[in-house]
Amino acid sequence: MSDNGALLSVKDLSVHFFTSEGIVRAVQGVGFSIKRGQTFALVGESGCGKSTTAISIMRLLPKPQGKIVGGQIIFEGQNLLSLSERRMRRIRGNRIAMIFQEQTTSLNPVYTIGNQIAEAIKLHQKTGGKEAWAAAVETLQKAGIPDPAWRAWQYPYELSGGMQQRAMIAMAVSCRPALLIADEPTTALDVTIQAQILELLDEIQKQIEMSILLITHNLAIVAERAERVAVMYASRIVEIADAKRIFAEPLHPYTRGLVESLPRMGFPGKRLHTIPGAVPAQLHLTTGCKFHPRCSIGGRDKRCQTTEPELKEIKPGRWVACWYAPEYKTS
Amino acid sequence: MERKAAVASLAVIAAYFALAGFIHIAEAFDWQIGPTLWRQQAGESYSPPGADNIFGTDIFGQSVLRKTLYGAKISITVALLASLISIAIGVPLGAIGGYFRGFVDEIIVWIYSTLSSVPYILLILAFAVVLRDRSIFGHKLTGITAVYLAIGLTSWVGICRLIRGEVIKHKNREYILAAISYGCSRRRIIFRHLLPNVFHLVIIDFSLRFVSFIHAEVILSFLGLGEANRPSWGAMINDARTELSRGVWWQMAAATAAIFVISLALNIFGDALRDSFDPKLRTRVERGS
Amino acid sequence: MSTYIIRRLLYTIPIVFGVLLLTFALFNVVGGDISFEIAGGTTTQQTIDEIRQEYGLDKPLFLSWDSQFVNHFKNALTFNFGRARDREPVIDKIKRGIGPSLAITAPMFLGVVLISVSLSLVIAFVRGTMWDMLAVVVCVTGMSVPYLSFILFGQYFLAYKWGLFPVFFSPDLSMARNVALPVLIGIAAGLGGNVRFYRTVMLDEMRSDYVRTAFAKGLSPQRVLFKHVLKNAMTPIITRVVLAIPFLFLGSLLLERFFGIPGLGYLMVEAIGSRDYPVISAMTYMSAILFVVFNLITDICYLLVDPRVRLE
Repeated sequence: MSDNGALLSVKDLSVHFFTSEGIVRAVQGVGFSIKRGQTFALVGESGCGKSTTAISIMRLLPKPQGKIVGGQIIFEGQNLLSLSERRMRRIRGNRIAMIFQEQTTSLNPVYTIGNQIAEAIKLHQKTGGKEAWAAAVETLQKAGIPDPAWRAWQYPYELSGGMQQRAMIAMAVSCRPALLIADEPTTALDVTIQAQILELLDEIQKQIEMSILLITHNLAIVAERAERVAVMYASRIVEIADAKRIFAEPLHPYTRGLVESLPRMGFPGKRLHTIPGAVPAQLHLTTGCKFHPRCSIGGRDKRCQTTEPELKEIKPGRWVACWYAPEYKTS
Repeated sequence: MERKAAVASLAVIAAYFALAGFIHIAEAFDWQIGPTLWRQQAGESYSPPGADNIFGTDIFGQSVLRKTLYGAKISITVALLASLISIAIGVPLGAIGGYFRGFVDEIIVWIYSTLSSVPYILLILAFAVVLRDRSIFGHKLTGITAVYLAIGLTSWVGICRLIRGEVIKHKNREYILAAISYGCSRRRIIFRHLLPNVFHLVIIDFSLRFVSFIHAEVILSFLGLGEANRPSWGAMINDARTELSRGVWWQMAAATAAIFVISLALNIFGDALRDSFDPKLRTRVERGS
Repeated sequence: MSTYIIRRLLYTIPIVFGVLLLTFALFNVVGGDISFEIAGGTTTQQTIDEIRQEYGLDKPLFLSWDSQFVNHFKNALTFNFGRARDREPVIDKIKRGIGPSLAITAPMFLGVVLISVSLSLVIAFVRGTMWDMLAVVVCVTGMSVPYLSFILFGQYFLAYKWGLFPVFFSPDLSMARNVALPVLIGIAAGLGGNVRFYRTVMLDEMRSDYVRTAFAKGLSPQRVLFKHVLKNAMTPIITRVVLAIPFLFLGSLLLERFFGIPGLGYLMVEAIGSRDYPVISAMTYMSAILFVVFNLITDICYLLVDPRVRLE
């Protein structure tokens, strides 16, 4: 992959967890790139390694079990993996920010939200207490929280789930990061609030030209908000494409299964499509293509059973890892 | 590595228990062997550790080794009996209070709050002093009985609180509601459904509390509240107070070592037990492979 | 917030009542009539009756306004504890012993709390490394050595053999010199269990989601520990600090006995030896009161530290 114009370029990233039961290869050979101001979705079921990929970009893997064992993460021209911890800290919360799924437990319960937001501002922009507080209030307002001056004095438990997530977003974007990693930002919220939060992220993105790496298992959100999509299965990326194309024409059997599983309006009484089987446990992966046991095409194919297909760019901007994808062999 | 330590600890604990049991049997059948012969003169008064007496002798020429071994019987027995008493009181009270709530619960909480407002050692001492030389149903209480009664009657608070808390938590869980819905009697619910689910806590608590019971017994013996005519680790340490200035260190060393080894074993084993029941409580971080 | 405090205050009443009931049950009911023992070896019936009257033991146990039961309560609430075996008013003995006891227990308490919390923060900082494991080993070892041995070793080596500290209490020396070694030993004995506990608390907190967020903001580990983790850890720390109080009593008992310091612990040990019920009863009651007061204080501390408590 080439870097031109890319804000973030992940190349051949591999992450292993060293546990007492063995090595878990959570992420293997993952690569993709995100442009400035782009919304990039990383999709997959639970346990496929998407959250781990996200955490690895921030270099926040739990020590000492988690280790990045290979690859590069090029952000604004620098390889994040070669930076010292000190310099990495200057990037966290500042150039790259992250928001998490469980908004209630992700905020410190014993400090006011104003305090927590101002903390990041003080740290990265080296402002004084009063200025930082004022800036925090301003960010709360931009995050759509009514009466922000008063809210800033409140504790997380005094806010509703939706407001807490807004506060987290405010905290993350307070220093105008170039990239926001959103790990399942709406999963723990009611459906109506979900829409609001996604709207908010959209607005902020336009305002400060921020890229968003959206981690989710919810395809509906992806369809609405993402520009590019990467699909992950069992620690690998199996397909990358523009959002519109991937829904219209999914190339990988897994992607196809996912797209077809989406309930569609206008077909009452039609049975929902499912992908048979289950995601393999991390420690017991098969040889060959990781998806083949559940694949209707490659299930009995010798090649699919023995050799893992690489992720190849079969058309500009279109990547897929499947022996049976059209034009796969020729590239 | 942790496994090996836990297994070794269990072996040590088993050894101590076996020793205590052996001495009980030996005394019952009047076998004259090893520790039961502690009264026998084994050498000169205050002879240091040597070939004949590995741990030396005390003021009476008695073998410190034999005394140390005998002390195990007293400490283990007391701690065991005290544990049984405190579990017998604490578990039912905790379960009843936690399950029925209301007035009964208020009374139980009041009782244990009162007991726990007196510092533990003071409470045990108070009980021990008062129980000593009393008679129950015509039987005079011996020193040792007073000790384990005192410890047992005062130490049930911890396990009671624990069980009560867990029962309250579990009471509203679905499986209990299900049992009620198909007509389980209350007694059955408590004993067949609730208790088995919280019992692992009793086991963990037991293993960790055992150490404190041994230490309590040692302190009581040290202060002269234990069995007067038998050797015990606490009494040995008490003797050591004056002996040390004479350069006689072996009684103190033997007693300390004996207490230290069983305490360490119990601590390690108790931790291993706790870790195996709930990985989230793991106190160690896993090493990589 | 004030309802919280008032509620806690009101709750102390049944507890105090309970403690008095307990001491009555122990020392008057089970303990029985000790006038014979107080009189001594050979004595006349007259002496025994006189003593009975003085101690109020001739009154009925329960069923009258002037019963032992009622008197027990009246006396305790007015801090009139009667006389000890040696005829000295118990309250005087207590007043005399408080000073020396505090001189030991107060520094010990502060020392243990401050050192163990700080150490646990440092250990949390180096979690997972060799130092961490070493610390755990040291703590478990310390917890397994009986208190008595700590004192004996300390007294023997540091005072007797190497002469760094006085072996016994001596009125000629300054208070500081007298209590230095006991305090040191007391702190050493108390560190093991506490550091282990606080370490677990810190490590648990560090696994929380908000710590992950804090790191994601770019905060340094020091900042995360001292600002975010510490405040959240305060609640279990405060709880544990309260539990350390009984430990202080044990310390004062044993340390004062060993070093001959004329405090409340020494008083207690003597009273046990001579079955001095009035003294033991009074000490039990007083320490319970102290404990209850301390609990109240810590409940107020919870309020200050954790805003969620105000919800209750």
